[in-house]
Amino acid sequence: MEAIVQLEGVTKDYGQGNVTVHALRGVNLTIQKGDLAAVAGPSGSGKTTLLNVISGLDTPSGGKVWVDGKEVTRMSRSRLSKLRLNRIGFVFQAYNLIPVLTAYENAEYVLMLQGVPAKQRREKVMGLLRQVGLEGMEKRFPRELSGGQQQRVAIARAIAAQPALVLADEPTANVDSKTAAALLDLMVRLNEEQQATFLFSTHDQNVMKRSKRLILLKDGMIDQNGKPENIEH
Amino acid sequence: MQIIKLAWRSIWRNRRRTIITIVSMVLGLVIAFFFIAFGEGVYSGMTDNAVRMLGGHVTLEHPDYQEAPAVDLTIGGLAGMRRRIEELPEVERTKVLVLGQGVAKSGGGVVGVAVVGVEPSEERGSSPMYQKIIAGDYLEDADKRKVIIGSELAKQLKLGKQKDAIKVAEKIRPWIEYSKIPFEKIVVEARMRLAVGKKMVIATTNVHGDMVEELLRVKGVFCVGAVEIDGYMIQIPVDTARRIYGMQPGEATQLGVVVRDPDTQGQVLARVRQMIDREKISVLPWEEVMPDLAAYIEVDGGSNFVFQGVLIFLIMFVIFNTLLMSVLERRREFAVLLALGTPAGKLRLQILAESVFIALIGCTLGLLGGWGVTYPLAKGGLDISAMYEEGVSISGYAIDPVVYPWLSWELAAWLGGLVFVATMILSLYPMRKAAQIEVADLLRGGQ
Repeated sequence: MEAIVQLEGVTKDYGQGNVTVHALRGVNLTIQKGDLAAVAGPSGSGKTTLLNVISGLDTPSGGKVWVDGKEVTRMSRSRLSKLRLNRIGFVFQAYNLIPVLTAYENAEYVLMLQGVPAKQRREKVMGLLRQVGLEGMEKRFPRELSGGQQQRVAIARAIAAQPALVLADEPTANVDSKTAAALLDLMVRLNEEQQATFLFSTHDQNVMKRSKRLILLKDGMIDQNGKPENIEH
Repeated sequence: MQIIKLAWRSIWRNRRRTIITIVSMVLGLVIAFFFIAFGEGVYSGMTDNAVRMLGGHVTLEHPDYQEAPAVDLTIGGLAGMRRRIEELPEVERTKVLVLGQGVAKSGGGVVGVAVVGVEPSEERGSSPMYQKIIAGDYLEDADKRKVIIGSELAKQLKLGKQKDAIKVAEKIRPWIEYSKIPFEKIVVEARMRLAVGKKMVIATTNVHGDMVEELLRVKGVFCVGAVEIDGYMIQIPVDTARRIYGMQPGEATQLGVVVRDPDTQGQVLARVRQMIDREKISVLPWEEVMPDLAAYIEVDGGSNFVFQGVLIFLIMFVIFNTLLMSVLERRREFAVLLALGTPAGKLRLQILAESVFIALIGCTLGLLGGWGVTYPLAKGGLDISAMYEEGVSISGYAIDPVVYPWLSWELAAWLGGLVFVATMILSLYPMRKAAQIEVADLLRGGQ
């Protein structure tokens, strides 16, 4: 299989007052194309930092990161911005939809930035909203949608441009268990049908169980990495 | 298109703040617009009155006259000069003046006066004296020993006696009570009417240095509203003035040129200078003939400029505050946009577009409001006489108590352009702030 993400000896240190926090301590990791991987671990173990370093939102203090064969750690801000636009999709814990855009416009946003023609955008977005179960809600603004519905829009936005990698930071943390299960079903289905690669950070046992691979972080280091059934936690 | 949509919707997200900002802009612009138009109206009214009453927009006089005004410093050959100057399309008319000093005497008093010899038919065209006759009539070209005087001078010379005026008013008291006009006002008017036809003597020194006296009869009384003029200036026919001062026919102390449009004054000045032998005659703009008036306008205009500057600064401060707050409170949203791959330049453009929308709405409404408030006054005038019991005069020059604010597209374009451009400049800092945010920190902090 082909690697979509590769980390080699990645470290990340933060200064908090006089104290230096070592968020990542020499992480080596490979995520394959089509993977559905979950990064788990206690709070402060470095899950979000790991995702941020992969997406180029945060710069590692040491080590190297490759996404889709390109070394992220050597990229300028504008090249990182292009990489995120074209190769990475995001799903955030707090949904983070653009409040002044409708569900349709939010899902369409990345395609517009990419300059996809209007007709193709429309077909794509309508199809996606149907896929995530939001048909008929295209014109609703985020404030008019429930938490679960907002997260579905966020997932539609993340996969609209068919990115090589979808990074989802605790995507089920802010919704009830039923909605969380439905969202998880959706992402698993998208992984299977569209071969979209998902990398979650999560505390959710269900997400961990249903992922193809589980990576356990502890104190900024990979403690265990393998199939969920083989991981002790 | 996407940027425009985002920007437009974003400014209405915090509707109350946007409305407060726009209302602040509108109020500030309306006030600034009105006060600039009012100030310019006062200045142009004052200038217009002064140049029409005295030496015109452009004045021709003896080269030494400004240094030490005297009746023997005259200019001649006026007929030919006038013909050539009046051929200029920008020139409304020319006017001959004989200016001198003297003492006015009557049975009731003695007062120092400025004697102005004028051509009545020319002055009738637009002179404030003609327009402000309150009793009797203005001079005619054929008048020989007639004079018009100001209401204050008439009082000082006691030409119309108070007790006689009261008697006149008493006779019509029932009508006065019915009409609700103050009794005192009728008495003053009666006193002015009684002054008409009375005799007075002008004593002065002629060009030969001899003391001369001339008996004159009051033909009319004017009231321009400035004590300095109503109590000091008299007008007599120019030939009478020449005779009193011992000048030759065709001589005068000044030849004034009144232009149709004050903006063409510079052109006319240059062209008249080309026509005239400048060794014998000075050709001066009104600013040099009436330097105290020009200085007043400059100083007062400067203080108005500071006031308007402070007002515009306050508007700018409100706009800057709104733009900056709007960016600071949406930092997380901008972090999401950047995380999704939005180029920083597009984010800056979005903030610029928001500033453009706010500035366009505020400027448009503000200028429309300013125009709406000023237009009726520019047409009908604003009577400020109630604010000045002693009459409206500045620096010794009368201004018409009815002020016509100066309304023009240039003013609207200048003021609107200034606020718009300043808003664009002020948006640079919030734009910079938005593009500099630490995406990872903001996204992490919100979770």
